[in-house]
Amino acid sequence: MSEIELESEVAGVVLSVTAAAGATVAEGDEIMVIESMKMEIPVLATGPGVLASLAVEEGEAVSEGQVLARIRP
Amino acid sequence: MSDRRPPGEAAARPEMDALLERLAADRAATLDAARPAAVAKQRKRAGMTARERIAHLVDPGSFRETGQLAREADAEPGDRPADGIVTGSAMIEGRPAVLVAQDFMTMGGSSGELGGKKLHTAVRRSIREGAPLVMLLDGGGHRIQIGQSSRRYAPSTTTFQEFARLSGWAPMAAAMLGAGFAAPTNFAGLADFISMVRGQSTMGLAGPALVKAGTGEDVDKFELGGAQAQVDRNGIADLGTQDEAGALDSLKTFLGYLPSNARAPMPMRPAPAEDPARAQALRGLVPANTRKAYDVRRVVDLVMDEGSVFEVKPTYAKNAVTALARLAGRPVGVIANQAMSMGGMLTGPACDKVAHFVALCDAFGLPLVYFIDVPGFSIGSPAEKAQLGRRSAKLIYELGHATVPRVSVVLRKGYGLGYVAMAGGRSFEADAALAWPTAEICAMSIEGAVDVVNARRFAEMAAAGEDPAPERARLIAQMRAEVTPFGGAESFGLDDMIDPADTRPRILEALDRAPARRDLAMPPKFRSICPI
Repeated sequence: MSEIELESEVAGVVLSVTAAAGATVAEGDEIMVIESMKMEIPVLATGPGVLASLAVEEGEAVSEGQVLARIRP
Repeated sequence: MSDRRPPGEAAARPEMDALLERLAADRAATLDAARPAAVAKQRKRAGMTARERIAHLVDPGSFRETGQLAREADAEPGDRPADGIVTGSAMIEGRPAVLVAQDFMTMGGSSGELGGKKLHTAVRRSIREGAPLVMLLDGGGHRIQIGQSSRRYAPSTTTFQEFARLSGWAPMAAAMLGAGFAAPTNFAGLADFISMVRGQSTMGLAGPALVKAGTGEDVDKFELGGAQAQVDRNGIADLGTQDEAGALDSLKTFLGYLPSNARAPMPMRPAPAEDPARAQALRGLVPANTRKAYDVRRVVDLVMDEGSVFEVKPTYAKNAVTALARLAGRPVGVIANQAMSMGGMLTGPACDKVAHFVALCDAFGLPLVYFIDVPGFSIGSPAEKAQLGRRSAKLIYELGHATVPRVSVVLRKGYGLGYVAMAGGRSFEADAALAWPTAEICAMSIEGAVDVVNARRFAEMAAAGEDPAPERARLIAQMRAEVTPFGGAESFGLDDMIDPADTRPRILEALDRAPARRDLAMPPKFRSICPI
């Protein structure tokens, strides 16, 4: 199966990265938090697997639809 | 009286037996058992046959087919059985429904002339009997083999006019179970609920072949019209399921919340025992800090009857949650802002989703329960490009025409027009306007308001080498002190501020008191005009 791409649903800034690359994650696990609209918006795993890669770092500005991380099911 | 006597029973019997034999043979020729090769092919491309799909959905033995023997003049018995569309009536969980199932095994489920008449008759019947129309779609459009004939096509039929007449009278539910481009999508166009099977179903106005011929675009059928596109991304279908059984079962679940028609009694269930632990849990769910997100679906789950929440469009515009649910056994429609997704702001897709849902609930008499935590509508160029100024008005339009009871509960933010469009305060004469102590109701975000009002001052401070941040923080704190739920209750903008643990009984009380329908006292117009 191909990797699951986690995209940012909003433009904002990466406030914190909660999960580490290589970690095993379950659906609904928090991967990182994006600050946007004066809110801390969690980015959650959309499926179980291994967090194959993180595409952004803390403090980085992200645009809507940008890939934030990839999960290998 | 004549003295002529009828012929003896025995004399007529052989003739009748022969006729019955022929009838049985004609009937048997239409069934799956007579078509092993076609069934084997269907197993490979999808799963169930049209008849198996019906059998899966309806109460055992309740299906009464209409037009099973229909066949074109040039067809032998067993050729193009039932002309490619199985229609009839049945019971679903003890209530009547009208069924239409395209048979892909017959000319790819395309619409022939008799098939078109059968569909037309089914829609008319649904109107006449006030019973839901259930469509199991897997087929093509116009049967091209009939030919491109102006003589035949020009008269058209009133089938689509009948669909429009049916809308809002009896529920219409469709499962897209395979080939769904063109005609199946047209048939489902006015449906109240559509399910699709992930990795199996498609829908859309035209399939890849026609798209390629018409525009040159080379696109895969699933990329163009699979569940990921049409359910998750475009929101024209309501639910994506893992398999066919799931898609069929979801229609049954959906219909379970609705009356058979707009004037039929509500499908009530026994009220569950009240659970104080669930009520108490509501106190711990919503952080007062408006920067913090939480899952509003947990609030909905705890307020509604346990296990009764059925989300409509759960994967589309997740920033707004729309769900059918039960409160003490009574069906209701729930609309909630989801702080976890885009901070719960209202976007174009969220407006379409909520507006359609409000219309559905209003048509079938389901009270509306709003949980408000809305930072407002999305702003900026993308929002303007998405016509949000008009799409947002659809929320006003639908709520303004709704005659069902409605209750609003402000969980946290109630900002701007978003608050109004979520039936906040007195905006749409809610039967109860309630707020939790975490409510923050005002015209716009507090930070935003402070920044807009003090833009020049902050700029001047910065130019003078002075950090504006402490002053900004002071002003925000000052304004926040004015924005309290106590203020909303004190000005009588809200009926009451409540303990979250009391949410369920307070909503129930309001719905028990409210009339099932209210008179809107509309001026003597013929109709209103939807903003988009």
